[in-house]
Amino acid sequence: MNNSYPANLYDGLTSKPLDARVGLREPGSLEVEVNGERSYWPLEHAAMQWERTNTTLRITFGEHPRKVLITRDKLFIATFVKRMQYAGRRGVYDRTLSLARQGPAIFFLALVAVVVVGYIWVLPFTAERLALLLPLEVDERLGQAAYGSVTLGMDEDTARSAVLQRFGDRLDLSDRFELRFHYVTSDQVNAFAMPGGDIVVFSGILEGMEYPEQLAALLAHEATHVHERHSTRMMVRQMAGYLFLSLLIGDVNAVVGVLAENADNLRNMSYSRNLETDADARGIERLRAAGVDPQGMVKLLELLGSEAGDMPEELSFLSSHPLTEERIAKAKEAVGDGTLTDPVTGELAELFERLKAE
Amino acid sequence: MELLTPRKRFSFTGQGGDLFAVLIVNWLLTFITLGLYYPWAKARRLQYMYEHSELDSHPFHFHGTGKEMFKGFIKAVLLFVVIYAVFFGLLMTQELAAMIIGYLFFFVSFIGLIPLIIHGSYRYRMSRSSWRGIHFGYRGKLKELYAICIRDGLLTLITFGIYGAWFQMNLRNYVIGHIRFGNSQFEYKGDGLDFFLMNLKGYFLTLFTLGIYGFWWQRDIFNYYVNNLSWSFAEGRRIRFKSTATGGGFFELIVVNLLLVVFTFGIGLAWAHVRMMKFVLNNIELVGDADLDAIVQTELEHKSAMADELGDLLDVDIFL
Repeated sequence: MNNSYPANLYDGLTSKPLDARVGLREPGSLEVEVNGERSYWPLEHAAMQWERTNTTLRITFGEHPRKVLITRDKLFIATFVKRMQYAGRRGVYDRTLSLARQGPAIFFLALVAVVVVGYIWVLPFTAERLALLLPLEVDERLGQAAYGSVTLGMDEDTARSAVLQRFGDRLDLSDRFELRFHYVTSDQVNAFAMPGGDIVVFSGILEGMEYPEQLAALLAHEATHVHERHSTRMMVRQMAGYLFLSLLIGDVNAVVGVLAENADNLRNMSYSRNLETDADARGIERLRAAGVDPQGMVKLLELLGSEAGDMPEELSFLSSHPLTEERIAKAKEAVGDGTLTDPVTGELAELFERLKAE
Repeated sequence: MELLTPRKRFSFTGQGGDLFAVLIVNWLLTFITLGLYYPWAKARRLQYMYEHSELDSHPFHFHGTGKEMFKGFIKAVLLFVVIYAVFFGLLMTQELAAMIIGYLFFFVSFIGLIPLIIHGSYRYRMSRSSWRGIHFGYRGKLKELYAICIRDGLLTLITFGIYGAWFQMNLRNYVIGHIRFGNSQFEYKGDGLDFFLMNLKGYFLTLFTLGIYGFWWQRDIFNYYVNNLSWSFAEGRRIRFKSTATGGGFFELIVVNLLLVVFTFGIGLAWAHVRMMKFVLNNIELVGDADLDAIVQTELEHKSAMADELGDLLDVDIFL
């Protein structure tokens, strides 16, 4: 029973390795014999530590300077480790590590699976929740900080902005943010919304419009971006994606880093496409709520389609704006073929005429 | 008394597959804890590397624990948060003077932290390293290190970087010269001019040979680091370190490692790491007549890992 095995002992006083014999003695101690002198190290003691690698077992005991025992005897290592595991001193780490040692390929694939699942489902879910937890003030602050630099050098027509404001106010597009509409003289066939409520419409897009419903649809679309906090959500997503990647890349190499970053950009683009379709769909609901014929959305999109050259279909997955064709089809699905049946009259029509007037 | 024969060597006994297992578990745990596991992962990695590095067939040991390093990590993160908060706070004022102070503060704090990081990291890392039960220790003084860094840093700045070679050597001489191993100590004797000329030659030859000489330049740097290092013991005994690395060896190491890492999307990292450790340790010979059995324990423990973690956050690699 009283087996003992060869080991090296460093006594912590000098660097001279001492030849030792070591063995387990029940109940619960380690017998260390050096030059015929025996000492006993209790196994269940805070000052007792052990670590093993594939070939060696290192047992340390005592306070600094510690005594260190090293053995490469396979039989003793197996016995000792079994004894310590029996005593329950084997953590989650050791279990995980031995799994990884047994099947590194499977373990690695499992790790990749965890990462992918985290990226595709957990990350967007968490980011979305987080974004909605942010107070509305964040949107307003962000918008204010960016508005000045975005509109730098733009030529705002304040008189027409006031008219546009009245048009927008009539539609009552958001109960969450105070919307401020700006009319900017420019050839661009475009409009954009800043988080927190500033919406800029270029004269270029207004010139192409024939019906007040189109303008209403445009404002409804942009107001949806503001109301649904699309910019903030996008930002939180991008930041979360970035954090996620840096967690990964911190340990993996640059090649994976570049691949992952590009994949993340693609994903962000497809998200921003989703936000556009979302703004169309909810914009239609807003038009209905405001008593405006939602066919205006179809008319607006048709205008955009005829004005802007679209990119070839094969590249549509790359685009930040979905193909207008695709958006038109979706809008038609929601409201009909785009024939205006109930044209607006009264103040909206009048304000629209004033905006269009030379 | 066992005398060191002139060919006592270091060796690395780690294996790629084994290290890979350690690293993937690290990745997994770091990932699912959103990075909080990082200090423990680092401890595991270092423990593996130390345990499989041997001198005279006896392994080194890293005593640091994840818990210690986690404390350091938290302190380092807090310090970062404070620096960033002050920086952004000053920028938010939108006033020119405050913004300039903000930028100055930001850069000065980061540059000013570097000597502290070197000092603290060496103190921690050395104190937590041992061989045959004897601990290493770092006895440098923070003040002296700052003096060197400020003086040489300014000289480097006004000589447009040329003095950098002298700066590096002075730093190396100082830091390595203050490493103790029990009652023995290390010494590095680097000369700024030699180092400068060697790098100058390396730079131009690499340029003229379209990069091919780069491997031999790498060898020259390695040789300069190893051959000027010595280890002195009681009674004036001394061991010198001698490099046996060749340019061809570096060529093979670097090219194969690059392929290993690039074509496996990083999976081969563990194997590349093992190859590098084997190359480095196998190419250092110890020459001299000192008795490796007679070293006496002298160093105390130093448990603060803050500087080490700070260095990681700043991404400065100070261990050479």
